[in-house]
Amino acid sequence: MGQGQGASVVNHLFEAFPKLIANRSEVTSPASEKYNCIAWAAGDTQRWWWPEASEDIFWPTQIPSEVTIESFAEAFSTLGYVQCADADFVDGIEKVAFFAKHANPTHAARQLPNGKWTSKLGVSEDIEHELRDLEGEAYGVVVSLMMRPTP
Amino acid sequence: MTIAREKPKPEKPIEESVEQRFRRLESQWMEDTRFLSSSTQIKQHPAFLEIISLGDVVVPLMLRDLEENPRLWVWALPKITGENPVPAADQGNIGKMSTAWLQWGKAKGLQW
Repeated sequence: MGQGQGASVVNHLFEAFPKLIANRSEVTSPASEKYNCIAWAAGDTQRWWWPEASEDIFWPTQIPSEVTIESFAEAFSTLGYVQCADADFVDGIEKVAFFAKHANPTHAARQLPNGKWTSKLGVSEDIEHELRDLEGEAYGVVVSLMMRPTP
Repeated sequence: MTIAREKPKPEKPIEESVEQRFRRLESQWMEDTRFLSSSTQIKQHPAFLEIISLGDVVVPLMLRDLEENPRLWVWALPKITGENPVPAADQGNIGKMSTAWLQWGKAKGLQW
């Protein structure tokens, strides 16, 4: 992990995400309960995004509050994203990746201008990582990718 | 000759204060849900539900935490109090929800 990070921060991430590799991942901001991975992938650090029909959670208006990859895709289409075929970096294009476990959405990551990916891990830290290093028991696998011109 | 042995008496459980119990449950809840983004799963965790069942007595503890940082206690407070001071426009904004609850607490004359 990046320099200056405490051992406890590193350990709990490695335990949960065994594929994370120290020399190609980095904690980039501290833990926060203000926003989750979906919000972070959408560029929002002020709200908790989830398709739960509840007055204390944010979900784009008129998008079904269904915990399906299709609903997540519709939500991100409101931000200008369209489906794409791969996770390859393209200059001028911003991509997001959705993870699912047994077809249940679990996580979203956003690609950075340097080609790596950024993820908010629940209420835990933001990290910069290689996309598939978060695949595993906790989040499942990447099941869908979307892209838009970099804002 | 068989000697009847007296059954060992169960040890008296160490009594937790409300705050100790609250913090123990909080720790378990956070440990188990720390990497989840699903608000549904986070809210349905048994420790979270048990915290809610503690009732009004934990409200000052939650408000104390909210003064330090926006916290997901804003999901528990409506269940405990039966009230919701958060404006509709602030739905999902944990920071603004936290502020609204702190203002609610002060208006109620609560101390934390």
